[in-house]
Amino acid sequence: MSGAALARPGGDFELPCSEEFYKAREGELRSVSQQNKLVAGLTALCAVIWALAAIHPVDRQAWILENLLVVLFGLALWLSHHRLQLSNASYIFIALFLILHIIGAHYTYAKMPFGLWARDFFGLSRNHFDRVAHFGFGFFLAFPVRELLRRFSGIRHGWSFWMAPAVILAVSGLFEIIESIVAEIVAPGKGVDWLGGQGDEWDAQNDMLSALLGSLVMMAAVAVMNRNRTGR
Amino acid sequence: MKQSRTHFRDNHFLQIALACYAIFWVALAIHPVDRGDWFLENLLVFATASVLLPTYRNFQLSNLSYGLILLFLALHAIGAHYTYAKVPIGFWLRDLLHLQRNHFDRVIHFGFGFLLLYPMYEFLERCAGARKTWAVWLAAVALAALSSFFEILEAIIAQIVRPDLGIAYLGTQGDIWDAQKDMAAAFSGAIIVALWLNLQRSLPDQATSLRRN
Repeated sequence: MSGAALARPGGDFELPCSEEFYKAREGELRSVSQQNKLVAGLTALCAVIWALAAIHPVDRQAWILENLLVVLFGLALWLSHHRLQLSNASYIFIALFLILHIIGAHYTYAKMPFGLWARDFFGLSRNHFDRVAHFGFGFFLAFPVRELLRRFSGIRHGWSFWMAPAVILAVSGLFEIIESIVAEIVAPGKGVDWLGGQGDEWDAQNDMLSALLGSLVMMAAVAVMNRNRTGR
Repeated sequence: MKQSRTHFRDNHFLQIALACYAIFWVALAIHPVDRGDWFLENLLVFATASVLLPTYRNFQLSNLSYGLILLFLALHAIGAHYTYAKVPIGFWLRDLLHLQRNHFDRVIHFGFGFLLLYPMYEFLERCAGARKTWAVWLAAVALAALSSFFEILEAIIAQIVRPDLGIAYLGTQGDIWDAQKDMAAAFSGAIIVALWLNLQRSLPDQATSLRRN
């Protein structure tokens, strides 16, 4: 086992920040091969769902645009995998978010059947599946973000619970900016509706709010679990 | 971390800067274009003052940080006096550069990122314990997040106060991408200073390593 590729404790909610910590506890940690099985399994699961969703998407152009994100994200994970191993929990959360996005991309979000059903059932004004995905972005990705911050930035335990949502909100804002630029290039003049706003003029703000709430819920859950485990 | 503290009595820079700002603020508090709007905008000033004044004794920022914060608040005072969309400099700029709208609000959003990055960096490095390079980028992240949060807050206030007016209530002046552009202005301001700070830090290191070789 190479020194650079150390496994993280699987599903561990306690995230010590220093690399030395992991080196010192090497014997107690799960083996790399065991984690690799999980990562391989998650990758296979995502690949199968992606391949199924790639068959006859509702709108091929929108599908390609949405999948640029998946490709870039997957590439970044793959390239960094040898040097940077996240905890099992982080990999599971990332996979869950990717699956959510892959399903949304297949149906162009606004036409997601479950969202349409929820709209009719609860009498909502629009298909809220995109908000679910934005919430999921905050909820699922705040965990790996906090893990990275704890390991590399040297930030204090208490602060990590606030800086992870800050990162989520900042990325969410950046995403809305990029989205608006893409919309002006691809479909000038069509405005918010081309982005699946469905008549909501506060679409950008509501999307960002969903991501923020998602990340805060996850951080609250992690804080409670941490307190139960370590008493701080 | 032990920080050198200066008693306010001995801090002449801060005394002068604070006095200048106070005079400026009072002058612009007289007959603002819209008193209700002026009050709303000044909630930000009251909030900042209520955080920075009591913490001066025990958690002192550098004079550079205080100066930058005061400069930002002074620019904000101009916007609050004229309700942003009606700031004369903005009209002059619009006519000079043949712009579609009064862009003074974008200037302030840019200033939010540009002027407040250094104070935020200082705060995060000392308080949150972040490493130097990380503290700079996390400061940019924090300002980007605050800028996004501000847009969310604005949207909620607008929906409560005047649901009939929609996004026009926020002085968007007919720009449907107003929120995105405001955020982009703040993000770019913060990123420019973050890049500059990190570049400045890495340059002396390189110089010494070159000399050693």
